[in-house]
Amino acid sequence: MPAFTTKDQAVDVFTELFEILLNDATFSRIVREENLSAHFVHTKPDLEIFVDSDGVRIDDVPYAAALKIKMSCDTADSLWAGRLLMPIAVAMGKIRIKGSVAKVLEFVPLLHPAFDRYPGIATAAGVGGAH
Amino acid sequence: MLNTLTRHPDEAAPQGVHEPTLTQLPAHVEELRRTAREFAQQRLRPAVQRLDQAPAADFDWELVAEAHALGLTRLVIPRQLGGLGYGELGVAVALEELAAVDAGFALIIGATMLGQAPILLSGDPRIQSRFLPLFAGDDPVLACNAITEDLAGCDLLIPDNAPHAVGVMSARRDGDEYVLSGAKKFITNGKVANYATTFANVDGHGGATGLTCFVVPLDSPGITRGDVADKMGYRSCLGTELLFDEVRVPAENMIGGEGGGVHINIAQMDMARAAVAAISTGVARGALELAIAWCGDRTQGGVKLWQHQFTARKLAEMTAKVDAARLLYLKAAHLADTEVPAPAYEPAVAKLFADRIAIEVATEAMGLMGARGYVRDWGMEKYVREALGARIYEGTPEVLALAITASMYDEGDDDF
Repeated sequence: MPAFTTKDQAVDVFTELFEILLNDATFSRIVREENLSAHFVHTKPDLEIFVDSDGVRIDDVPYAAALKIKMSCDTADSLWAGRLLMPIAVAMGKIRIKGSVAKVLEFVPLLHPAFDRYPGIATAAGVGGAH
Repeated sequence: MLNTLTRHPDEAAPQGVHEPTLTQLPAHVEELRRTAREFAQQRLRPAVQRLDQAPAADFDWELVAEAHALGLTRLVIPRQLGGLGYGELGVAVALEELAAVDAGFALIIGATMLGQAPILLSGDPRIQSRFLPLFAGDDPVLACNAITEDLAGCDLLIPDNAPHAVGVMSARRDGDEYVLSGAKKFITNGKVANYATTFANVDGHGGATGLTCFVVPLDSPGITRGDVADKMGYRSCLGTELLFDEVRVPAENMIGGEGGGVHINIAQMDMARAAVAAISTGVARGALELAIAWCGDRTQGGVKLWQHQFTARKLAEMTAKVDAARLLYLKAAHLADTEVPAPAYEPAVAKLFADRIAIEVATEAMGLMGARGYVRDWGMEKYVREALGARIYEGTPEVLALAITASMYDEGDDDF
């Protein structure tokens, strides 16, 4: 059974998650200073998330992001929930990234504040994989 | 006085020259190439013969300290952790410059980056902040990657072989720690590194199917740094046995989770192979440069050697091979800098080709120099010995062929 049953459910969860990150002082400062932007291409259900210092956009890509990251929503759920570790997801091709790897190496550790928050957000939204 | 590499790569790049083109490297990579070339020519070259002919266990910390001061040991580490934030392209270009003078010294730097790679790949700020800032201090720090064992070489590199691996180092969970026992062999920098990214098989898994990566400080109780291998080439770097006797490692030092070692190792290799291809390219270039100098100086039959048609043909073929090898590794390194996971095909092709042409070019270059090519004083025979080395580490031609053909038959997702 897929983790997300509807696109709206995925939109709600990931929007809240990235807004939490953008409210994190370190994350928002580095995103702004380094001009970082990320374009997440999620599949099953399909949605695109664009994150930069201006905020979170859904299915609205205003410019080519520094990083383009593709994964299924199931992979995203496993990753944020901590059941799938980033290096393994990358090595197995479950996550594919295009863009400067130097930026990836800077960006990924910044995501850590969201890992603690995801299980609560997912459970509240009734995401299957969180249970 | 050589300049320390301190500038932000983006700041060093003039407008519009952040990305490599077919004919131009980014400005910050060109700056790195100049620095590495000056170090190699001015500081390393005068020491090459001494390093090559010294006893196997000799190690020149002074030269390593100079390279460290320039920033060569922290090229790939993100800037917020004290590194320089260069990608694989910069690393490969720098290693070609070092290897054109001394492949062993290039491998000291390359092996350190290999030991940094799993920590970078982890994406875990906790383990990154514990180990990566070590390379930004005043004193030189080296790392190593410990995977090869006496009975298990390619069995640890080829996933399909993992169930058949025998005698693999074991890891046993005990509370908040893992206990590692076993031995690693031919570990570059093992004698001198601060820590080793170490691969062990978690108890209860057959063969190497539970292969797991741990970051292990090499001053941990129970570790013995064994004898240094007496190698035919690459003598300035030390290949060493590492013995683990009930070595306790905190669970937080595990990377990629239990059983994730195979994936970590493959990702590491895909990242590293372009750099090793660059080392082979450097060896070929070094031999070619000696041959060019000799053929431009030596007169036979009333004309310079290079004016003899047979010699000209050989030199032309050699330089074409070096140029082709360089283009292949630059392409592979660029892709490794712009795609995650790094592609398997291009780095393997680059290494396969560069390893082969290094042997061809060095052998031909030795022949052009006649007897002088065969004696130690002229330095050519060292290139021949070192050209043979890269066929062994980071993937033999046979392992590379499997990676290449697997990519050729892979019907993966190409729409991204």
